[in-house]
Amino acid sequence: MPEIEFTIDAETGKLELHVKGIAGPACDDVARLAKALLGEPVQERQTAEYYLRPKVRPQVRPKGGQ
Amino acid sequence: MSKYLVFDQICFPDRQLLLAALADLGYREVEEGEALPLYGYQGDRRPETAELVVRRRHLGPASNDLGFARTEHGYVPVISEYDQRVLHGGRLLPKLRAAYSERVVAAVTRRLHGTARRTVEGGVVKIKVRF
Repeated sequence: MPEIEFTIDAETGKLELHVKGIAGPACDDVARLAKALLGEPVQERQTAEYYLRPKVRPQVRPKGGQ
Repeated sequence: MSKYLVFDQICFPDRQLLLAALADLGYREVEEGEALPLYGYQGDRRPETAELVVRRRHLGPASNDLGFARTEHGYVPVISEYDQRVLHGGRLLPKLRAAYSERVVAAVTRRLHGTARRTVEGGVVKIKVRF
């Protein structure tokens, strides 16, 4: 299940954000939403999962089907 | 993990979330307008203007107006050195940033139709949002 983990340092107000469980650039949509509300991050990096291709289940149509 | 971001600057892009964060800190009376004048603790007009203003009567007897000026990236605080040192024990801006961040998390949770689980350990708040 996709998850975002926010960590807020109450002393400084600094916010860290991890987007987890979304393979591929789909997580950019989540990052875009966060940036719209928070501004440009001072640090941003893709982690290993980012480069995985999302799983797509092949669909096979029966012969003669519409 | 697929993406990691760190937000560390004092700029508040969303007006409504900033107003909500100010209310969380007890500042519910906020003037809104264009280039509103700011006044010092003696009633003297200061050279700066702002689009959101908490008047000094809501802050403290020796405080100046607290403003937020709109820039292309969002609202930035216009705050005197005195008020930075005194308001909320000298921690107004970190507290405001933390309150704003919590409001952002709530907004993101709503938009993703997710569920949030919040834990606090020491001075660190962790919120996990599943969607």
